[in-house]
Amino acid sequence: MRRLGLILWNDVRRHLRAPLAIIIYILIPIAMTGLIGLIFTPEKTGGELPPIPVVLVDHDKNLASRLLMGAFDADQMKKMFQVTAADEAEGRRRMAKGKASAMVVIPERFTLDFLELKPVALEVVKNPAQQFLPDVVEEFMATMAVMLSAAVQAFEPEARGIRALLGAPVEAVPWETLGPEFGKAQRKVVAARAYLNPLLLRLAEEKTKAAGAKTSLSRSDIFSIILPGMAIMFLLFIVQTVMRDMIAEREDGKLRRMLTTPLRPGELIGARLLGGWLMGVVILLIMAGFGTLVFRVRWGPFGYFLLLGAVATFWTAAFFALMNALIRNRNQAGSLSAPIILAFSIFGGSMLNPEAMPQAFRTVGVLTPNRWFIDGAALVRDGRFPAFPLLVLAASGLVLLALAVPALRRRATV
Amino acid sequence: MLEIKNLTKSYGDVLALDRFSLELKKGEVLGLLGPNGAGKTTLISILAGTLRDFSGSVSFLGRDLFADRSLKNRLGIVPQDMAFYEELNAMDNLLFWGGLYDVPRAELKKRAADILERVELTGRAKEPVKNFSGGMKRRLNAAIGLLHRPDLLLLDEPTVGIDVQAKVSLLDLIRKVGAEGTGVVFTTHQLAEVEGTCSRIAIMDCGRILAQGTLEELVRLVGEKNIVEISGAFAAAPLTEALRDLAGNGLELLSAADGLAVLAVSDTGQIPKAMDRLFRRKLDVTDLKIKSPSLETVFLKLTGRSLRD
Repeated sequence: MRRLGLILWNDVRRHLRAPLAIIIYILIPIAMTGLIGLIFTPEKTGGELPPIPVVLVDHDKNLASRLLMGAFDADQMKKMFQVTAADEAEGRRRMAKGKASAMVVIPERFTLDFLELKPVALEVVKNPAQQFLPDVVEEFMATMAVMLSAAVQAFEPEARGIRALLGAPVEAVPWETLGPEFGKAQRKVVAARAYLNPLLLRLAEEKTKAAGAKTSLSRSDIFSIILPGMAIMFLLFIVQTVMRDMIAEREDGKLRRMLTTPLRPGELIGARLLGGWLMGVVILLIMAGFGTLVFRVRWGPFGYFLLLGAVATFWTAAFFALMNALIRNRNQAGSLSAPIILAFSIFGGSMLNPEAMPQAFRTVGVLTPNRWFIDGAALVRDGRFPAFPLLVLAASGLVLLALAVPALRRRATV
Repeated sequence: MLEIKNLTKSYGDVLALDRFSLELKKGEVLGLLGPNGAGKTTLISILAGTLRDFSGSVSFLGRDLFADRSLKNRLGIVPQDMAFYEELNAMDNLLFWGGLYDVPRAELKKRAADILERVELTGRAKEPVKNFSGGMKRRLNAAIGLLHRPDLLLLDEPTVGIDVQAKVSLLDLIRKVGAEGTGVVFTTHQLAEVEGTCSRIAIMDCGRILAQGTLEELVRLVGEKNIVEISGAFAAAPLTEALRDLAGNGLELLSAADGLAVLAVSDTGQIPKAMDRLFRRKLDVTDLKIKSPSLETVFLKLTGRSLRD
C-alpha cells in the first residue's frame, strides 16, 4: 500500500511538473462549451423572430387587396410581419438593401377576377440574399391563397353579387335586389358559425416538462446540457494521457526496473488504475467547478453527479488499461486512442444531439460511456438518481477491469 | 553469496542460456564478457526477476532468489536502459526509486544525498534529469541501483554510449562498490572495461561460460601464442585445406569461417608460409592482424570471433 501511494504521488508530481496536456484537456471542453452555448442560447426576447419586413405592391386597389392588407394588419400578423405599401421599384430597392425579405404583388383586377372565380395569381418576390424569412412569407401567402380560394368558392353566389356591386356605380344597383343576396349570405354565415364556433378541430399545444423544469431554455440550461458531453469526451483524453504512461514505462525499461524492486505486479497495476481514476475524478471536479462558476451550470444533486463521474471515470480507466495492455507501443496507442475517443464522442452524443442522429448511430451509442454519462447527467439535472446509467457503467467497467488485469500482468512480466 | 546452477532459458528454438552455472563471492567484481547475443542480458533479466519460464536454480545469501521476495531488497539492478523519469530531478528520482525498497523514510534522504555525492551529481540534484548529459544520466542510473545499499549489484552494459571521462568515473565507482563488500556482476563487450575493473572475468558465448578466472589466468590459456586474424573474401573449406599440413608445426587453426579465420601461432616464421599457401590457392585475403597474448586473444581463441561480431 505504501508503494502504491508512492507511485500515485510520483505520477501526480510528474504531471504537475509537465501539466500542459492536462491543462489543454481541461480548457478545450470549457472553451467549446462556452462557444457552443453562446451560439445556441436564445436571446432575452425568448427566441422569437423579429417581424419580417414585407413590401406590398397593390396594383388592384380594390376590396380583396384591401382585405389582404387588412389581414397583414391584424394583431397576430403584426407580430410576424411588418408590411409596407410601396410600388415595385421601391420594393426591389428595399430588398436590395436588405430592408425587405419579400415583396407581394397584387395584380390589377385581382378583386374582380377573383370574385368571378377566374384564376388569378399573387406574385411573391423573395429576397435572394436571405435564407429563411422569404420562405416564411411565401408559405404565409400560399396559406392565404388556399383560404381565399376556399372562401370564394363557398360563397360563390354572394361573391358574384358583390362582384356585380363592384362592377357598377352604387346608385345603379336596385337595393331591393340586394335583400335576397344579403339574406342568403347571412344564412351561410350563421351556418358557417355553427361549424366554426366552436371549432371542431383545433390545435392543442402541450409543453412537456419534468417537475420543476423551466419551459424555455436559458443560457445556463444550454451550458448544463453541453458541458457533460464535452466533459466526458475530454475525460477520456485525460485518462488515456495518464494511462498511456504504462506503455511508455514498458518501452523505456522503467516497468522492468520497478519489477526488480519488492513492488508486486498487482500493486503496480493497482497504482496505475487508481492513478488514472483519481486524475479523472479530480479533472472532472475542476471542470464541474468551472462550469458552475463561469457558466452557472445546473448539475442537480451534486453527490449524484459526483458518483456518476466517479463511475464513468472508473469505466474509462478500465477501458484504457485493457487497451494499453493489448497494444504494443506508444505510436499504436497514439494512433488508436484518438479515433476511438472521437467515435465514442460522435456516437455517444458528446458532439451531436442523439435525437438528431440516425437510429443506427443511436444503437451504437449505447456501447459508449459518453451516452450513459450524458443520459445520467440529464437525469441528475432533473433531480433524479441515475440508477440505470450507473449500473451499466459499473457493470461494463468491471468486465473491462476483469479482462485488463490479467492482460496487464502478462505484459508486466515477460 | 550467489550460486547459479544450470540456468537454462530458450526463446523458441534459440537457446539463450545453456545450463549456465556461476558462483560469486562477497566483494567480488565479476566481468561477464561476451559478444552480442551471448546471453548476458538474459542472465541479468532472470536474476532481476523480470524474465520467467526458465529452468535451474539461483541461491542468493543461502536462499532461493525467486522464492524469497525480501531478497529483492538486497539486490541492486542497473539496467541497460536509462530507466528513470526525465521530467523529475535527480533527487526526486532517487527518492522515488529508493522508496520502492524497504529503506526507512528518514534514512532515504540521507542516502540519496550520499549517493549523489558519490556519483558527483550533488550540484545538479535539483535539476530536471532531461537536462543531463549522457554520462550524468548513466551515473544517475547506477546511483538508483546502489541507493538501497544492495549486497549484490547487477549492471547490464552500464557504459554504453558514454564518453571516456564518464566511463572512467563509472568504472571507478564499480571498483569502489566491490571494495566495500558488495558483489558485482558487470556485463560488457568492452575488453578494456573488465581488464582494469574486475577481480574475475568470465567469458561467455552461446549461453555458456567458456572460461573464467583472473586476467592473468585467462591470458595463460593461450600461452605465449600470437593470435592471427585473417579476413577476406574466401570460403572456409579451401583455407582449411591450404593450412592443413602446417598445423602442429607452430601453427594452430582456431577457427575458420567464410571470410574469417583465426590462428594461434607460436612460431611467427610460420605466418609468411601460411600466407604463401593462401595466395598460391588464389584465396582473396584482404587483411591480416597479428595480436600478442591479451584478453582479446583469449576471447578470440575461445569464441573464434571478435567481440564486435
